[in-house]
Amino acid sequence: MPKGKMIPRNVFQVEFMHYPKHQQCAIDCLDQMELNGVMPDSESEEILMNTFGMYSHPVRKHRRMLYWMPKFKHASPWRLPESVPNNAFELAKLAVTRMCTVDPSSVISLFETKDVEDAIEDTWIVSGQSPTQQELLQNHPPEEPIKVEGPFRIFLRDQCVGYFILRAEAKPQPPPVKREYIDDVGSIKLWFTGDLEPDDMALIKPTSVHEQEDGIILAICATGTSGRDSLLSWIRLLVNTNPNLANVPVLFTQASPVGDVMTTGQHDETTSVKTVP
Amino acid sequence: MFHFRGVQLLGGPQSGFVLAQPFFLCFSRTSSVRVLQPKNLCSTCKYSCRYIHFGTSQRKIQVLDRVGVTPYSQRSVISYNKDHELLPHHPWNKAVTSRSISVAAAQNLFWEKDPKGGYGHKKKHSQKELIRDGLKELRTELIKWKDEVREKFEDDPIMVRPGDMDKIWILNSEESLEQWVVTSDKDHNEGFSSASLTLSPTGHGLFSGRINTQVPKDGRVKRAGYCNIRTIRPRKSFKRETYLDWSLYTHLELRVRGDGRSYIINISTAGYFDIMWNDIYTYALYTRGGPHWQVTRIPFSKFFLNSKGRVQDKQVSIPRDHVVSVGISAGDRINAPFRLEVDYIGVYWDPSHLETFAYEMYKVPKFTAGH
Repeated sequence: MPKGKMIPRNVFQVEFMHYPKHQQCAIDCLDQMELNGVMPDSESEEILMNTFGMYSHPVRKHRRMLYWMPKFKHASPWRLPESVPNNAFELAKLAVTRMCTVDPSSVISLFETKDVEDAIEDTWIVSGQSPTQQELLQNHPPEEPIKVEGPFRIFLRDQCVGYFILRAEAKPQPPPVKREYIDDVGSIKLWFTGDLEPDDMALIKPTSVHEQEDGIILAICATGTSGRDSLLSWIRLLVNTNPNLANVPVLFTQASPVGDVMTTGQHDETTSVKTVP
Repeated sequence: MFHFRGVQLLGGPQSGFVLAQPFFLCFSRTSSVRVLQPKNLCSTCKYSCRYIHFGTSQRKIQVLDRVGVTPYSQRSVISYNKDHELLPHHPWNKAVTSRSISVAAAQNLFWEKDPKGGYGHKKKHSQKELIRDGLKELRTELIKWKDEVREKFEDDPIMVRPGDMDKIWILNSEESLEQWVVTSDKDHNEGFSSASLTLSPTGHGLFSGRINTQVPKDGRVKRAGYCNIRTIRPRKSFKRETYLDWSLYTHLELRVRGDGRSYIINISTAGYFDIMWNDIYTYALYTRGGPHWQVTRIPFSKFFLNSKGRVQDKQVSIPRDHVVSVGISAGDRINAPFRLEVDYIGVYWDPSHLETFAYEMYKVPKFTAGH
């Protein structure tokens, strides 16, 4: 871009956007950079300053980009690499790790269906489960069935991963322990609100984050084929760490209250319209 | 912007900017015409000028940073290049017929004409209809007004204690969903995304749909693909508009279950004057994805000011006593279905949060930063 020619020489030229089409072209270029997440640097600022001058719109936009882009670069609590891998296995690992951040003690295990006897499919399985979930599964009554639901969608930047969950029906919270003694100080009404001191919740075991009102999430996984057989292999592999699982009936369901189950038709839908950057 | 010679600008709602221009400036005038080089004519000076410049009113608009651009799409004017030769004695013929490609954003020159920015539907009601409908509502409004008067004299102001979280919008019934308005770019033929707000199987509000980044071929829209939900404005009795007062709180809390995509939270604090009509404070809502619910607490100091989709240069912290509505938008340019379940949106007070505003301001050359 030519230096000096398009720099305004007086107030009026500044005011009326000297060389508007050229400035707009530069702005569009910077727009494209912004959309693709490319940060401008001092060299590009020099080019723009020499071409359009200090008070021009491309230079102003450049400065705005330098101010705002770093603020949002690391704003997400869940870090993802700048370009997410295209490989399904790597994506699945990232996805399951992300979903298991809800419980920091989760353990992500990588399995192969080859290790299970009578397995028809040959694929990888990424599974995430925490000790809390293992305990919940251990205490699960053997008569009640648990369900394998999925595949649900999770997006990592622009890539989509299908994951499955192992879910048990929600159990209502146990009632709080009633006060036994009349002389208990807690039965004096609070002066300010006129309520009784709330029932002592300290004696109940606090519910974990996995026990939700729509179900108890016991494990999450993503498999290479997302097929019925790979899920069966996953259950068999989970029995190694959860012996009680062998006694509990496991159902494979189509619909789920937790999320929108992806059907095979929807896999193609995502690629049919080209994303315009 | 570079719209030439007062040719009909956008057919759309914001075509009102070819107005009386106070400035008539020409940079240079030459009586000799260079036929070899096609020249653009200026409507104001009617001379062929040495520099390529356009209607001065449009140029003036460039300086204003508060651009009237709809979120996630820019209206553009595309016209077609035609070769033309300049005939010195008939400048106007050529001026009217030849146009050039320009990419512009719709901008208002001096004032915002319409609080809805041209996107509302103007329905004509007869006086009789209005009176009839008004009388129907009279009874409920009187009851509401009675309650307000009683509240004013009898009730004590609310007391917020540290760590208090007050739920403002709970999406658990059809009735609660009626407080929300769902919009997408398909509404005004500016895109093909669809969205809906329904009750999920677990009984919570479900904002789902599909973002479609395909741009409609109407020559105006540059980018497409957004959907949003927004609460309706709080009103007192007799439909008087009022504000939500959140000055006692420091954080906005949402319990959501997303699909890993990022959404945008918009808190509108529309003011009385037209410059403030489109004041929206924004921040991103990052979702973890997965079957677990997440409780996100965003401090009000993190919200930054933007207007009609453009981040403003001169930033201020959100006026918490002046909140009109809260909205959630999906527009992350990923061409795929999205799904966001919302349990509640509330406000939280954390007395240890002392930050007033998270964005530092810098001194810039005079007249460069926007209003």
